[in-house]
Amino acid sequence: MILIQKKPFNYAKELDIFSKKNKLSGAISSFLGKVRNFSNLQKIDAIFIEHYEKMTKFQLSRIIEEAKAKWDIDDIIIIHRFGRLKIGENIVLIAVASKHREESLKSVEFIINWLKIKATFWKKEISNDNTTWVKQKESDIDKVKKYNTSF
Amino acid sequence: MKILYFANIKQEIGISEENIIIENKISIFELIELLKKRGLKYKNVFSDVKNIKCSVNCIFSNFDTMIENEDEIAFFPPVTGG
Repeated sequence: MILIQKKPFNYAKELDIFSKKNKLSGAISSFLGKVRNFSNLQKIDAIFIEHYEKMTKFQLSRIIEEAKAKWDIDDIIIIHRFGRLKIGENIVLIAVASKHREESLKSVEFIINWLKIKATFWKKEISNDNTTWVKQKESDIDKVKKYNTSF
Repeated sequence: MKILYFANIKQEIGISEENIIIENKISIFELIELLKKRGLKYKNVFSDVKNIKCSVNCIFSNFDTMIENEDEIAFFPPVTGG
């Protein structure tokens, strides 16, 4: 399931719902991305996330399909927010249910690594002084090179 | 065709989308050359395309991809979600 939403989500509640939905899975692994209060040693007050909804859903679906082709996965949920987010708020939740831990652990990392370079979201950092569009990191591109996958 | 702009590109051009009609199929690269003739803002944005990505109908595409009027084209910087 893919949810792209403006409203905040409760990490514990979403995981609990996902766990109950997949009660026969032996493992659930998750990743939670949050808003930091600094970037490149500069203090920020909030972030703004813009997205291309149609393409984001399409790209995330492709990443999910690819993960399911690689590992024996029971279920996947991705929640990603857009709009203005304050420091400490949740940005993204990825959770994977599988029979054994290896599949869920590896696929969560696979999904967040590909999301960082294929899902059409853009972050703007907001501080008292100015606003700056965040630049993609070379290290994020390097992280997907280990996968024998291309989209 | 429908052309969408996102993030800093949208900010610099000043609009989020527009429609243009072409007579024959053209490449993305040729579309960029056409857009650059629409004014200084476009010329500035597309003067250096190394940090510009594009998609055709939601698929990441190279600038030599051929496009037609029914296509939805988007221009944006490298993504930074997550």
